[in-house]
Amino acid sequence: MSRLRSAGVNLVHLWPVAFLLICWDVWVLVNGYTSTVAPRPWFVIQDVLAGFADYVPSISYTLGMALGGLIGGTLIGFVGAILVWWSAALSGIVTPTALIIRSVPITALIPIIARIVGYGDPAVLASTTLICFFPAFVFTLSGLAAIPEAGRDLFSVLGANKAQVLGRLGVLYALPNLMVSVRITAPSAVLAAMLAEFLMGTNGLGALFSESRSYMDMERAWGTAVVATVVSVLVFVGAQVAERRVDARLT
Amino acid sequence: MNTAPRTSVKVAYAIAGGALLIVLTQLIGTFELAGRAWPPLADVLSYVLTPTGAGLLVRNSLVTFTSAAQGFALGSAVAVLGAALALVVPMFRPGLDRFAAILHAVPTIALAPLLITTVGREDAPAVIAALSVGFVMFVTMASGFANTGSAQHDLFTVFGSNRARRLVRLELPRAVPAFFDGLALGAPAAVLGATIGEWFGAPMGLGLVIVSAMQNYQMSLLWAAALAATAMSLLAYLIFVQLQRIAMRRFT
Repeated sequence: MSRLRSAGVNLVHLWPVAFLLICWDVWVLVNGYTSTVAPRPWFVIQDVLAGFADYVPSISYTLGMALGGLIGGTLIGFVGAILVWWSAALSGIVTPTALIIRSVPITALIPIIARIVGYGDPAVLASTTLICFFPAFVFTLSGLAAIPEAGRDLFSVLGANKAQVLGRLGVLYALPNLMVSVRITAPSAVLAAMLAEFLMGTNGLGALFSESRSYMDMERAWGTAVVATVVSVLVFVGAQVAERRVDARLT
Repeated sequence: MNTAPRTSVKVAYAIAGGALLIVLTQLIGTFELAGRAWPPLADVLSYVLTPTGAGLLVRNSLVTFTSAAQGFALGSAVAVLGAALALVVPMFRPGLDRFAAILHAVPTIALAPLLITTVGREDAPAVIAALSVGFVMFVTMASGFANTGSAQHDLFTVFGSNRARRLVRLELPRAVPAFFDGLALGAPAAVLGATIGEWFGAPMGLGLVIVSAMQNYQMSLLWAAALAATAMSLLAYLIFVQLQRIAMRRFT
């Protein structure tokens, strides 16, 4: 009974979503928009439910590209940060550079990647990987920098070499930070994948969106927007759960 | 590695890093290691220095800057109000928290169709910037407000202050560092949001220049516009980080 109750409370807490749907509907009705301008939410939801099979290939493509980039970029960032941590000089040189590159807007990055790598899957994957790489790199490095002196002294007194310090102590400090980076970059990875797909128009939710917009199929275009939001929220929630698991395991 | 490097050493490293980055970019371009799409940095700079190039970049940067700044101001104002509302009316709080988390994850590109029909192509960049900033700001402000200790909270209540007074005297001052945190995080988000908005057919702006330069294979222009957008985002970030440091010193 209490589980039912907590599920009910969770549902009630989604009131802003319901409120938004109603506002959307009222807004369309009051302005008297036809469905080519702005469709009513119920028709959009109907299009998503009825034509879900048409959405599935795009969803799986975008999800695959986003998750691939998220995992790949995070791993490369993690390994890169460990390599850089090994040498103080390298870390001093690379960290400011990484901060500069981090502030390149995705919208400026994707067209350049598309030109260098060529239109297609590698460009989408390269975009999502690069977006996730820099935060993972920076967060891992700051985690490794937070290893307390005392811990390091203890390890060196007991005769541990640098690899052992890293494996037994560094990971404890770096992994929670790495998971923060995963949570932060998860929605960005979906956004980057969709922007790259929108620009190149080959595959995925971004391409479906630009295609249905040019055919004036507004229910499909808005449906894509709704589906993309749901996908992004799910990826974010997944990353949050993973972060909590790792935290619970390490502390 | 055992002692933290001194500031002068850090600065030297940072300069070395910057120089290394510039040299690498130039070399990759000169030897065409990444193909023709990666021009030598010197070519990009000489393009920026031509009168046409400079004029084009300055005009479009100003448009993007205006949209980003308008969106930045609007988004932060609404987000602060929203977070304050969630604080004063506790009934709204759990729902608004969850809603902010959802909004935070919404890919901004999904909002484009809504904005093109409602506000039009010209104002869409500013509104998308406002939304991106607003999400970041709401989340930081909500956690900033939540950060006040319950002992202080109780003290105010015991002395008979109502919610509005407690907000003004306790929670708002306590949330000032979080506010500047939000501004620092929101500044790059504003530039990103404005350029995303410009992808959807705005008449002017850096986002438009980037896409059209890409489609017409004007690599120097593409790189110059990308660098301009990056510089804008980086400068805004650095300015607000400085402000945030000052606020931290004053309010904690």
